[in-house]
Amino acid sequence: MHRGIFSVLIGGKAGEGVKKAAQVIAQIAMDHDNFIFQADDYQSAIKGAHNFSIVSIAKERLYSAYKRVDLVVSFDKKSVLKHNPALSENGVHFCDEKDSIEGCIGLPLNRLMKEHYTTGANLSLSAVAIFACLAGLPKEELAELIASEFRRNQEENISFAKAVYDEVLALDLALCCDLNNPGVKAPRKGYTGNQLISLGAWAAGLDSYYSYPMTPASSILHFYAKYRDELGVVAIHTESELAAANMAIGAILAGSKAAVGSSGGGVALMQEAFSLAGMVEAPLLVFLSSRPGPATGASTYTAQEDLNFALYQGHGEFPRIVASPDSYERALSLSAELLDIAWETQSPAILLTEKHLSECMYNMDLDASGLPQTEPVMKKPASPYHRYAFTDDGVSPLKYPGERNASAEDVIKWNSNEHTEDGVRADDADEIIAMKDKRKKKQDLINKLSRNYQRVAEYGESELIVFAYGSTVLELREAQKYHDFKLIAPIYLDPFPAEELEKYRGKKAVVVEHSAMPNFSGFLRAKLGIEVIKDVLRYDGRPFDADELVNILKEAKNA
Amino acid sequence: MRNLTTTKENSWCPGCGNFGIFNAVKKSIESLVEMGEPMENIVMSSGIGCHGKMFDYLNISGIFGLHGRAMAGASGIKIANPNLKVIVFGGDGDSMGEGLEHTLFAAKRNIDLTMILHNNGVYGLTTGQASPLSLTGYRGLSTPQGNLETPFHTLGLIMEAGASFVARAYSARIPQLSELITQAVLHKGFSFIEVLQPCVSYNNTYDLYNSKTKNLAGIPASDEEAIKLAKDENDIYLGVFRQEQRPVFDQEVQSKARAMDRQERFAYLESRQF
Repeated sequence: MHRGIFSVLIGGKAGEGVKKAAQVIAQIAMDHDNFIFQADDYQSAIKGAHNFSIVSIAKERLYSAYKRVDLVVSFDKKSVLKHNPALSENGVHFCDEKDSIEGCIGLPLNRLMKEHYTTGANLSLSAVAIFACLAGLPKEELAELIASEFRRNQEENISFAKAVYDEVLALDLALCCDLNNPGVKAPRKGYTGNQLISLGAWAAGLDSYYSYPMTPASSILHFYAKYRDELGVVAIHTESELAAANMAIGAILAGSKAAVGSSGGGVALMQEAFSLAGMVEAPLLVFLSSRPGPATGASTYTAQEDLNFALYQGHGEFPRIVASPDSYERALSLSAELLDIAWETQSPAILLTEKHLSECMYNMDLDASGLPQTEPVMKKPASPYHRYAFTDDGVSPLKYPGERNASAEDVIKWNSNEHTEDGVRADDADEIIAMKDKRKKKQDLINKLSRNYQRVAEYGESELIVFAYGSTVLELREAQKYHDFKLIAPIYLDPFPAEELEKYRGKKAVVVEHSAMPNFSGFLRAKLGIEVIKDVLRYDGRPFDADELVNILKEAKNA
Repeated sequence: MRNLTTTKENSWCPGCGNFGIFNAVKKSIESLVEMGEPMENIVMSSGIGCHGKMFDYLNISGIFGLHGRAMAGASGIKIANPNLKVIVFGGDGDSMGEGLEHTLFAAKRNIDLTMILHNNGVYGLTTGQASPLSLTGYRGLSTPQGNLETPFHTLGLIMEAGASFVARAYSARIPQLSELITQAVLHKGFSFIEVLQPCVSYNNTYDLYNSKTKNLAGIPASDEEAIKLAKDENDIYLGVFRQEQRPVFDQEVQSKARAMDRQERFAYLESRQF
């Protein structure tokens, strides 16, 4: 085992059930009170392309998956060759007997499949059976698990899995993954960041979600669509991202708490509507999950290239909120916070994240105690009603059309043109200035409300200061187990948490980010005047693992 | 009933077809309210262009959206509150060009709202460029040598996309237009009215429409007949081309879950294993 953590890698072709097998292995580990972190590496293809998933399993909290692995199950020759070098010292690698190379145990997987299936053969079960055997899981428990996790061909699945299990048992290998974790109660459920983002906004009252599929944000749409009749969120797959954002703003006008989501390309298509949200003062919540760009980029990998894009979203000037979760727990709470601040200030908000957090799985308990406990403060509308009535803090009371909310005398006009208090187009210089000043005023309220929440996270204590944001923080927290440094993670990016970070002004620091042209580093230098002693940049779309970061940070310290 | 005209100074050209549409819409709203529809349930959405100024002059709630996105905004309003009667005003540049996708998808979904297409065959507000409905050969600032493209056939396109109520009217025949708008708003499903609208500054079609428009004898018996009559260039037919019933998107898409307040959602979050 590497660093006391057991990692399993399953590799094969898209469509072979690599990810599902990894999820079931992760579930076995969680069912026995272990902590897990699952990372899926896949390409933009339905069938054929090489995919692999890593599940790391530990006795204590895991923030990232490890690249040095203890068990590899390869479903094809490509996986055998690609992943054999990742094996740890005492690691074992299994594959079909025809693909075997030196150091890799060939099992008659294809022969057993032919023997046990008449139709619908499922190779991915072999990985589950191999793991179960090496982890000492009784064969009957494996059978029960397979029956509950794989609904089709249950009998054949079970007989195939048992046959693979027996083959491994006959090899008389030492148990390599001890699942016992006495005295610890680990969370029994794994969540992806996108599930937590979806649930956080829902908990704070989200009513509708408008989106066009784009990896790695699509699973938010899938989540809301799946649970529509349970959670009460109307999920619409729209004709385009332009439609999504404009529909969401219409929904908000009618009183629906609405959000949209996409990756960089899709959010780029929403830019004009984001600006519309600024102008009509619509509390539009946007989930932006990044992947490497520009353009179509590397669609199934991770990146942090969109920081400036998020900060400067939309043409024209208007206040907005931009924040990025540094943990899975924060993905849940931040999503709720942003919906609340957006509604109380009638301003658009962006939750910026990355493929790494969006799609990796982490086990935790769903706990609402960290979520904003009270509803956002909504002002009482006066009569006669003016949509853009001037107020001390710039926020005008909201009223929604329809007999339940308005009276026959109410005229509620939202206008993309510059407008007067009653929402009719304005052309006079004084009117333009007055309405711009009104919107500008809301910045103070946004600043104030953001201070109700944790805006900066700090982890560890050391002379060495390291800045990161988003899911890079997870990677660094795993590295902190082996190397001391002080990790500082701004969660809120706009408004910038200047008060909390003032003590680091002018300090020497390392900045770690997933981009080629260090935009987070530049942002910190501009905002805080830090002296960057090293920019740690990764832009191959892959996450860092703890070992890689420890080596890099050791060098940085010596530099 | 409140005054349906705002105090905003009107800046449509004298003789503009928009006046006819404005007056017809006000008449329709009055009759809808007389029929028992609460005034507060009537909502409008408009895009950008001369048609969009309807928002400034018509004293009802709604959104003056982005160019091309009137239909998208209106769809969100309707999905959020299916009790509302939503009227979408679009220009031919706005709704058949920049925002064509939303027009076609509204018809495809059969979402229960009404689109009034102000078809003046030109971009008026931006000084006379060719629109998606301008005739081949049309000379404007962007096509000084003549428009090379063929215009969309609006009614054929919208019928093919699945609109369940389709009509054509002429802005100078206000009683008929008003009656069609009322019918369209009361129709359950997506309703589309193409309004032939002269642009006195860049595309004055009064003589053409006064001489060639003709009322349909009744709703055509088949789609083939409807499309044939809609495409007729010698007689320009006015009236209802299609009226049919099919499932309504904004009803079908709603969640069946009961409403939960924040504390209920928190409790559910903690007890439910997703």
